[in-house]
Amino acid sequence: MSFEDWFREDRLPHIYCTGCGNGTVINCTLEAVEQMGWAVDDTVFISGIGCSSRAPGYIKTDSLHTTHGRALAFATGVKLANPRLHVVVFTGDGDLAAIGGNHFIHACRRNIDLTVVCMNNMIYGMTGGQGSPCTPVGAISTTTPYGAAEPAFDLSELAVTAGANYVARWTSYHVRELTKAVQAGLETPGFSFIEALTQCPTAYGRRNKLRQVSDMIQYLRTNVIMVQKIQRMRERGEPIPDDKIPVGEFVRRNRPAMGVQK
Amino acid sequence: MKLVIDESRCKGCNLCTMVCPYHIFQEGDRLNERGIVVPRLDRPERCPNCRLQKLYGRRLCGACALICPDQAIHWEEEKPYEARKVVIEY
Repeated sequence: MSFEDWFREDRLPHIYCTGCGNGTVINCTLEAVEQMGWAVDDTVFISGIGCSSRAPGYIKTDSLHTTHGRALAFATGVKLANPRLHVVVFTGDGDLAAIGGNHFIHACRRNIDLTVVCMNNMIYGMTGGQGSPCTPVGAISTTTPYGAAEPAFDLSELAVTAGANYVARWTSYHVRELTKAVQAGLETPGFSFIEALTQCPTAYGRRNKLRQVSDMIQYLRTNVIMVQKIQRMRERGEPIPDDKIPVGEFVRRNRPAMGVQK
Repeated sequence: MKLVIDESRCKGCNLCTMVCPYHIFQEGDRLNERGIVVPRLDRPERCPNCRLQKLYGRRLCGACALICPDQAIHWEEEKPYEARKVVIEY
């Protein structure tokens, strides 16, 4: 059995645009779930609203497609009602950081035994490219026609500070690393948060001179820096480039978790 | 095993051409009946999964299948299997 067997074959091909990174993140998550050896009946995928949140509709397991931003609230209910289930949440940056921000920090604080995979495409893709809390400074979107002026959320740092047990960030280009990170998150008891930067050539790239899929992948490849390298640069006293996005494993710890089956 | 691109699912994003270490996927040049330029396979028997998946009993590289956002790449059983001479240049 491989990750292809977890898809609802009759639902494919999915509705994502050409070159959208969400399909890649679904592949990596399902590969990690497959490596864990979980049964289809014991796994639940939950999502909110947005491009990323259409993902559970293409997966064979039980799934909940819930209200905007409230995926984590529904997931908390599922996990606490039946701690035997393995709960995985698919969410996007507009879903998790904007309207669901409060649910996010409190899920981190309670440290519920969930795995959250956030597909951060830096924009509201489904509704036509409005600026989200994760739009980088200077990026053009429908609501920021002169470039985004506000600083963006760093979701991984937020999760670390709020108290998640496992936090990692990768991009949709780093498929092997992303798969390993999701698997480590699934193995960790307590709240694990994996942020996957994805390309959105249709809504984000089209307005920011990254119209081709290869340009967006190149942007993701060249604009990331490993956390270990940042650590080494800090020890040597070198200046850390502030335009690069740190990727890698941010934290792995053992705070007391909620909803773990005894 | 045989490397196959499912033309009914591929949307022509050419992500597979960026990740294959053997450059088996090449950008295509003709439209299929859905109006999509599907990548062309350049000597797919060089793929390590085609040659060695049976021997090792697991998927070896699989980067193209993992990165394909449309789940269009997979390996098929080939019957009857013919042993071919494969030249690999990196």
